[in-house]
Amino acid sequence: MSEHETSQEHETSHEHETSHEHDDVHNNYRLFLTVAVLLVIATTASYWTFTDLWPFGESKEIKRLWMMAVSCFKASLVIIFFMHLKWEANWKWILTVPASFMCVLLTLALVPDVGMRIFNGFGGYSRERLMHSAELPGDKAEQQHAHVKHATGGEDDHPQEAH
Amino acid sequence: MSDSHGLKFEYHPGLPLGLGKTFVWLFLSTEIMFFAGLIGTYIVLRFGSIAWPSPHDVHLAEHWGAINTAVLIASSLTVVLCLEAAKRNRSAEAKGWMLLTLVFGCVFMGVKGYEYSAKFAHGIYPQYPHGRIYEKADLVYSAAVRKRLNELKIAIEKKPERTAEDEAHLAVVDEIQHKYVEPAELMVRDHPEDPQGRILLTQLAHAIYPPADLHAQPPRPDPQEQQEKDPAYEPGPLPGNVQIVPRASPFRFAAHEHDEGSSHSGHAQGFNDQHHWLKLPMVIPGGNMWASTYFLLTGFHAIHVLVGLIAFLILMIYVLDKTRAGVIENVGLYWHFVDIVWIFLFPLLYLF
Repeated sequence: MSEHETSQEHETSHEHETSHEHDDVHNNYRLFLTVAVLLVIATTASYWTFTDLWPFGESKEIKRLWMMAVSCFKASLVIIFFMHLKWEANWKWILTVPASFMCVLLTLALVPDVGMRIFNGFGGYSRERLMHSAELPGDKAEQQHAHVKHATGGEDDHPQEAH
Repeated sequence: MSDSHGLKFEYHPGLPLGLGKTFVWLFLSTEIMFFAGLIGTYIVLRFGSIAWPSPHDVHLAEHWGAINTAVLIASSLTVVLCLEAAKRNRSAEAKGWMLLTLVFGCVFMGVKGYEYSAKFAHGIYPQYPHGRIYEKADLVYSAAVRKRLNELKIAIEKKPERTAEDEAHLAVVDEIQHKYVEPAELMVRDHPEDPQGRILLTQLAHAIYPPADLHAQPPRPDPQEQQEKDPAYEPGPLPGNVQIVPRASPFRFAAHEHDEGSSHSGHAQGFNDQHHWLKLPMVIPGGNMWASTYFLLTGFHAIHVLVGLIAFLILMIYVLDKTRAGVIENVGLYWHFVDIVWIFLFPLLYLF
């Protein structure tokens, strides 16, 4: 093999590598751009609940469920693609799974506290909380009143004090 | 024994990744729990509270939150592209992407600053003495209003020469004092069992700072007119706070430029909005707790954004080639985490 031929081969191989690299770069850019566009669309999907175009009624629970689902989807996109976990080795599970568990448990551990404040077995908020907290909105006040009346046989106008 | 068989123990690192990246991921694990605790606490306070203000009650504009989300997403994209360019030794391109990230980060902080200033301008602070939020329209509240009105009045009366503007201010102060504060306080004093006193106190609170969702309620027919037409007419209970809003109220309903065309748009403007110099105490049920959680959550997030911006600024000094790819990736991981936190904060704070 002459020196000239070797040089030609080397150049061809280099061009081939450059072309591959160019394709990779192009593909990566396209992938990241697609993810970013998906994230913006998902943000719009969250905002959708706030607009008049939301077709699934005024149920706050449905809206909140939808928004949280969209947020989880967005976070997953960022973690998988932007934080490169898609291409990482198995170590990723060691660091991310326990932290995610802790994160969910930490939030769930606080849920009973919300429950104890509202559904405390005494017909809702304690008298003390009602007296010292902010005003109860009108519609909630009516519901509360009806609930307490029902719970106490319609004799007591005020919720019982929680202990 | 192992020596005799020629076995060698080799040091084996725990994870197949660099120390920097290991540190960043461990740090992010702690950060996840930090923000989970904060957000969890917010959820407990938010859903355990008897009352919580609507976003417009506290001058929170949803579209700014959405814009900031888009800005952070764009900045996450530019960080990734910066890393890709650095990996390929394209230093100039990498620097361009990083500069763009820095700009996006600054835009985010600018919008946040603007939002904060809107709250501060309306006396919404996390605590006294700057904060002017009261939870209930009671005698404590009316006393605070009276104190502020007296301060204003004394300041004007002390002036050796009063201008026409001073006279106009004095007229407004007197109007609020005589038309709203005094009748309410006298009614509560003379007829403590009569609900009319409480109604007058609420009218005072609404005249100063009406709830934002008043406009969303259907107009109520005049009960007297209706009863003249139909003697059997019963007004019945009304939703929300509408029942205690005076018909001849001084409010003017103004649609905000930012929420035109939405059924949630606009809010009634009370004395505080019509006369910015008044700075009267205002009743926003749940407003103090809202302010505490809002400023705490967004404040901690903003500090994280600021730290990320400083890191980007430091990186801008160096040549962003292949040798810096590791550092760029680590800072990028942190930045993406900040983005993820905002992804959850946006719906929780603005849309829930």
